[in-house]
Amino acid sequence: MNKDLDKVRNIGISAHIDSGKTTLTERILYYTQRIHAIHEVRGKDGVGATMDSMELEKERGITIQSAATYCSWKDIDVNIIDTPGHVDFTVEVERALRVLDGAVLILCSVGGVQSQSITVDRQMTRYNVPRIAFINKCDRTGANPERVVGQLRDKLNLNAVMIQLPIGLESELEGMVDLVTMKAIYFDGDQGDDIRYDEIPDHLKDDAEEKREELLDAVSMFSEELMEAMMEEEEIPVELIHAAIRKGTLDLELAPVMIGSAYKNKGVQPLLDAVEAYLPCPTDVVNTALDLDNDEEEMTVSNNPDDPLVALAFKLEDGRYGQLTYVRTYQGTLRKGETIFNTRTGKKVKVGRLVRMHSNEMEEIEEAGSGDIVGLFGVDCASGDTFCDSKVNWSMSSMHVPAPVISLAITPIDNKAQDNMSKALNRFSKEDPTFKTFVDHETSETIISGMGELHLEVYIERMKREYNAEVEVGAPRVAYREAITQHADFNYTHKKQTGGSGQFGRVGGHMEPLEEEEYEFVDQIVGGVIPREYIPSCDKGFQASMEKGMLIGAPITGIRCLINDGSYHAVDSSDMAFQQAAKGAFKEGYKNAGPVIMEPIMKVSVEGPSEFQGSIMGSLNQRRGMIVGTSEEGSYTVVEADMPLSEMFGYSTTLRSLTQGKAEFTMEFSTYKQVPKSVSEELIKEYAESRKNG
Amino acid sequence: MGYEPLVKKNPLRVLNLAGNDKKMGLIMARAGLGKTALLVQIALDSILRGKRVVHISIGENLEKTKLWYDDMLEIILQKCSVAKPHELIDMVQQHRMIMSFKESAFNRARLEERLNDLILQDIFKPDCVVIDGFDFTNMDHGELEDINNLMESLRLQTWFSATSHREDDRVSPSGVPAPCHELDDLFETVVLLKSEQKNVQLEIIRHNSDACSGDSYHLSLIRQL
Repeated sequence: MNKDLDKVRNIGISAHIDSGKTTLTERILYYTQRIHAIHEVRGKDGVGATMDSMELEKERGITIQSAATYCSWKDIDVNIIDTPGHVDFTVEVERALRVLDGAVLILCSVGGVQSQSITVDRQMTRYNVPRIAFINKCDRTGANPERVVGQLRDKLNLNAVMIQLPIGLESELEGMVDLVTMKAIYFDGDQGDDIRYDEIPDHLKDDAEEKREELLDAVSMFSEELMEAMMEEEEIPVELIHAAIRKGTLDLELAPVMIGSAYKNKGVQPLLDAVEAYLPCPTDVVNTALDLDNDEEEMTVSNNPDDPLVALAFKLEDGRYGQLTYVRTYQGTLRKGETIFNTRTGKKVKVGRLVRMHSNEMEEIEEAGSGDIVGLFGVDCASGDTFCDSKVNWSMSSMHVPAPVISLAITPIDNKAQDNMSKALNRFSKEDPTFKTFVDHETSETIISGMGELHLEVYIERMKREYNAEVEVGAPRVAYREAITQHADFNYTHKKQTGGSGQFGRVGGHMEPLEEEEYEFVDQIVGGVIPREYIPSCDKGFQASMEKGMLIGAPITGIRCLINDGSYHAVDSSDMAFQQAAKGAFKEGYKNAGPVIMEPIMKVSVEGPSEFQGSIMGSLNQRRGMIVGTSEEGSYTVVEADMPLSEMFGYSTTLRSLTQGKAEFTMEFSTYKQVPKSVSEELIKEYAESRKNG
Repeated sequence: MGYEPLVKKNPLRVLNLAGNDKKMGLIMARAGLGKTALLVQIALDSILRGKRVVHISIGENLEKTKLWYDDMLEIILQKCSVAKPHELIDMVQQHRMIMSFKESAFNRARLEERLNDLILQDIFKPDCVVIDGFDFTNMDHGELEDINNLMESLRLQTWFSATSHREDDRVSPSGVPAPCHELDDLFETVVLLKSEQKNVQLEIIRHNSDACSGDSYHLSLIRQL
């Protein structure tokens, strides 16, 4: 194995749906000789692309899970994470970004910077991931790389600079001019294997000179040497330009733009060269961990293979041989046969099998140095756990995990399905922190919740295919919440003193709304009016009350409960009695605290031809949406709106029929907001009726 | 609505914005003196008075324009105490609509179509429109009059911003610099922002107004660095 860390690249490939991520990854694997034939995502040969290992992905032509793949290009080791493009799966994208050092942002030469690219770019900025842009599909009709570069600057605020110039476009795409070396690159052979460097065609010479000047201007600020050479009007060494581009990219001040068409086998090898030349190696990136023994103090990981081990489990998969855990090591060395411990659970585990992943195949290895991404077998853990050896107790900083916004009731069709379903649910909730499952005690239904309709649909499909668990699916339900809006006092006595041992407890105090936090319990009891041992009982009683609100039975959030008064009985008071008293007190206070229903609001972005702008806005407006704004670029418009999730069911069908299928939309969770009065009344009525009938 | 103190305190009161005139206003300055900031102030002031505003941003994206509002609101909330800041933020969002256009995508016909989309479908009924980044360089009197008529027929108060250039010293008799020197009669109020050492001076020129015809007012702003 290669020990030189500067020869390692951990990169992600992310983009808007259908920009050709999977196709590009497929080509990379082919050119790095990891696979020996190319299959298309929606291929006619029925084999499907190698990275889309799940059947479902092949069927839908989308990539759901990020399979980590290893390959080597020239003398560097590249670990590629193929990330999903749909917004419902952004936790996958975010988790992948967490472990990456650099990324390739793929854009469609026709579609340009679409809403999903913006989301992904925002995430990359959050995790400080340096990136190269690759404008794919330059063979498509309407391809316009220059327009895309403009959008990278305007919409993503990137200092995007083209380092290549296309030779021909659309169906005439032949190759490209490398503006650093000033050579034309052509891709010969059936699969574009043979790269031919040639003189720049005459008709492009002036253009290339001009673009090269632009490139040099842009990168000269990252290298004094380069600037001096330019002033002196000397011949500028190619290495100097490479170094300046690399510096700018690593500082996140520059985004080099490459072009090509993965499908037509053009531009992939130069992209790999750029990955080597411009994207960071593990030591170029500063990663921090939290020291759990030292009040979560931030520590910088060293990348030194001889230091104590710190490794992050960022992805779980169910394989033929049990749970496969993808880990990235940040320092130290992970060795087969050694014992490591999980800093979240404190459990020790032995490293059984250590493998390097090549999409669907794997290679057994003995050890993995820092900066590497490998797979572990037979290790029980959840995604996001940190592994250390016994010398340190660190945790890689927690990852941003949004709360689920939509839920579905599922019922297995028979006993066998019941067993398989629980296995599947157990697995999914371990794999994906945004997927939650629980049993509703009142209806005995199993509820699954997640980040969107598609998110849950995919899991239901997977249950059927991978676990043979057929389920009946209820209508999707929005995850409403309840909250209070004002201060309210309570003073409640729980008394049951007829025959046998009695129950007695009185709890007094108040509740008030709490922003930011879910729940806070404040104990201001003085003089022992409630004995110490029963204070936790009060806390428990309040918390139990918050599970189901009184308006529509939704969980209550954002409440501070304060107790400052009470009384007890020497014989009849007990833990149970005070829990009951607290529940009664909560009920009493809640009624007077102006309870309201909150609903998830989604940030929705609809893109389509400008002629449909009016009807798009109309359709959003009808669905209780608040239109934030529009942005119009010639014939193309984006409408942004904040929409209640409950109104978005079936919107894709509406949108399709409104715009002849020419518009598309994406959404992601934004915040919780109070529902309007009319809707609130409707929900309360529905809830009351369902309770009557149930 | 409870935001009267914020409205009363606002130095923009000298512009007499609360008047019911539906005439056009113009803010002019060289690049970088704060035209957009002033337009956003005018928009926020209208919103605080319960009006609805369409903010048209030409050549600037939606995200950046939103940021302007967020920043301004943050400053207002820091300086003046408001009982429920979240309600104010929500209120501003509900009373504002941003439309961003690429330079080449904006023209009078497009403007009319977009405003009609909003009004006829009852999506958003604006009282005021601010237009930032409009290029007056090749605008002739007739074209602007056309826009004026459109805005008047929709009963909208309209504010433009325009950039003047150091090298172009043409000026109208009332003191409005190029490129708007031949269009100044179409504006009810023209505000010139001028850099003076540490301050930005606001010079207010009024036209056609009965009360203060031809008068000019001065207001100076301390530049925050």
